[in-house]
Amino acid sequence: MYRPGVIARRDLLRAWGSSIALSPLACGQRSRPEHRDGRLVVTFWYAYGDLVRKVMLDLVAAFNASQARVFVEAVHQGDYYECLAKLRTALAAGAAPTLSHVVCEVVPYLARAGVLEDLGGYEGARALPFVPALEQRGTFSGGGDPPLVSIPFNRSTPIAFLNGRMLDEAHVAAPRTWDELVDVAHALTRRAANGEVRWGFEVPISWWYWVAMVGQAGGRLVEPGGRVSLGGEAGEKALRFWQRLVRTERVMRPPPGRDYQAWQSSNESFLQGRIAMMWSSTAYVRYLEQNARFPVVAAALPRDVRASVPTGGTMFVVLRAAPDEEKKAAWDFVRWMCDAEQTLAWSTRTGYMPVTRPAVERLVDRGWYALHPNDRVAYDQLAAVAPWPWAPELFRVERDVVEPRLEEGVLEGVDAHALMDEAREEAGRPA
Amino acid sequence: MRPRSSWHPWALLGPTLALLALFFLVPIGVAAYESLFSWDMLTPPRYVGSANYAALAAHGELLRVALRTLGYSVLVVTGTMTLGLALALLLDRPGRFFGFVRASVFSAYVVSWVAVALLWMWLLDGNSGALGGLMRVLGVGPLSLLGDPRWALPTLAVVGVWKLTGYAMVVFLAGLQAVPRSLLEAAALDGAGPGSRLRHVTLPLLAPTAAFVATTSLVTSFQAFDVVRIMTQGGPARATELFVYAIYEQIFLNLSVGRASALTLVFFLLLLAVAGLQLRAGRARSGVSR
Repeated sequence: MYRPGVIARRDLLRAWGSSIALSPLACGQRSRPEHRDGRLVVTFWYAYGDLVRKVMLDLVAAFNASQARVFVEAVHQGDYYECLAKLRTALAAGAAPTLSHVVCEVVPYLARAGVLEDLGGYEGARALPFVPALEQRGTFSGGGDPPLVSIPFNRSTPIAFLNGRMLDEAHVAAPRTWDELVDVAHALTRRAANGEVRWGFEVPISWWYWVAMVGQAGGRLVEPGGRVSLGGEAGEKALRFWQRLVRTERVMRPPPGRDYQAWQSSNESFLQGRIAMMWSSTAYVRYLEQNARFPVVAAALPRDVRASVPTGGTMFVVLRAAPDEEKKAAWDFVRWMCDAEQTLAWSTRTGYMPVTRPAVERLVDRGWYALHPNDRVAYDQLAAVAPWPWAPELFRVERDVVEPRLEEGVLEGVDAHALMDEAREEAGRPA
Repeated sequence: MRPRSSWHPWALLGPTLALLALFFLVPIGVAAYESLFSWDMLTPPRYVGSANYAALAAHGELLRVALRTLGYSVLVVTGTMTLGLALALLLDRPGRFFGFVRASVFSAYVVSWVAVALLWMWLLDGNSGALGGLMRVLGVGPLSLLGDPRWALPTLAVVGVWKLTGYAMVVFLAGLQAVPRSLLEAAALDGAGPGSRLRHVTLPLLAPTAAFVATTSLVTSFQAFDVVRIMTQGGPARATELFVYAIYEQIFLNLSVGRASALTLVFFLLLLAVAGLQLRAGRARSGVSR
């Protein structure tokens, strides 16, 4: 019997059934752009915290205030890896945002999946004057001229940070070679009677720094034919060097935690004076300078047989599944971010590299590098950048194959040759 | 009571069976199917047969994950039960003070895992945490429990025990309330001391309670994810990579749905085996036979 105002069990069942039946429709691709208050909404998923987040939100607010047609809605999605996980599931469910930014190693995988918009045809895209070491060109494994699917955003390289006061006390300078690194780390390590140690050197046991060392030892991750060699002998040498610093020389402490937790731990230890020298990202230049109670000295990473660093950070990507109107608006925002004024603001306030040549020229003209020698070190180190061999399997090789073995090698002392042999075998398996 | 028609029991069971199938059997079936493919959610799946299982089994990684998970569960279940029972026996007394202590111990159970993990990370921090300070005072030097592969898993188990002990204590307290006073008095009159009364009267009567605590603690320990995600992310050197976190890592961080599905299926079979053993032990204890 029907009674007004009372939800019958049958109604509930009907509603439940309808929601299940209609749920697949929710997974469809968005075909109509979203408008709010008469403005076209561009959803931008980002992955920053602290100072960088504030700077980015300031820039987004400035863009939104600069015109009345587009509104960029920035949505925080955790750290890089959390953001990527959400992006993949959103793509699979047909609910992806218009714009996001992803770590470089992921770009080839997303490009192969066909989810990234080819930006080559957008107005002015091919003419943007990027700093060569930081743009997409020349990175795809196998060469060729793949579509332009990513635009440099927050780009960085690994860099050494040293406590200037401790350097003066120990009468040593920043190391320029691996051998000097051992000597300087010894000179800076202090062991107190109560067992407390001030470590001479610290670096997260992470793929990025290992890649830098592979390059410094003369190796490359992927051979010209496409075989993933993980640096061959150089890959093993890099791991052995870490093992030596931690287990034999006992001058390096691997920070606790993984990924950005380990990076954050190193930063905190450095600021607290518990470590004298660390490898970190150029992205932290400003943060460390502003928070340290001692002079922060940046130095290029030391060389073994050559100088070499990978690039890091993320690239802007526009998602192909978004409506055309939104993609065009997203491109307007990306292009605005690449203007010298915004690039300068982004770079000088955070420490990320300026990604366009006009921005660098302005910094030089304004005497920025004379006032900020640490930024100069970071910029000069771009001469030693080894381009990434962007291959679709690169990200899986990083996360699943190499990183856990680096930890095993350093923390458990497992033989470097055996570990890298295993890693090469594993890298060849299908995901 | 006999059903009027043979299909009546099925009709009554139907909704539950349908939900069970939809949310449990179908996903397991889908996982079993997807474990035979190489798939990253975005590119077309590629049939690889048992390659995902072979890749996981290579170099003993799958076995290590299973043993690690079982080891963690054993530590958490035994720690929780022992401490929970001990505290229940100690605090089964009237009075405000004991009530306050009981509430304090139980409070850890109602706090979220994320808050617990963050609290313990701070406590265990070798530099600025309470443990670091204690080590400095004792002259032991810095100790990185979460950064050492030998200590990371037992440390996580300690956190799990700390969180779950309050729950076990409350359940044991309820069990103690059900122990007839007359039996304890009769045992005392017969000359049994406190130890004998505990061993021969209290503990046997607490057996069903203990089985309940063991089962719920086991389930919770097998589901451990938040504490791993927040405190160690499976490291160092995979020392704290438990099953649920390994599944998450494979699918969301390593982009491999196939391997995550293979892990899910193995985890399901492991749980099935543990549940079967527990059921069998329970039946043997209660003397039920078929």
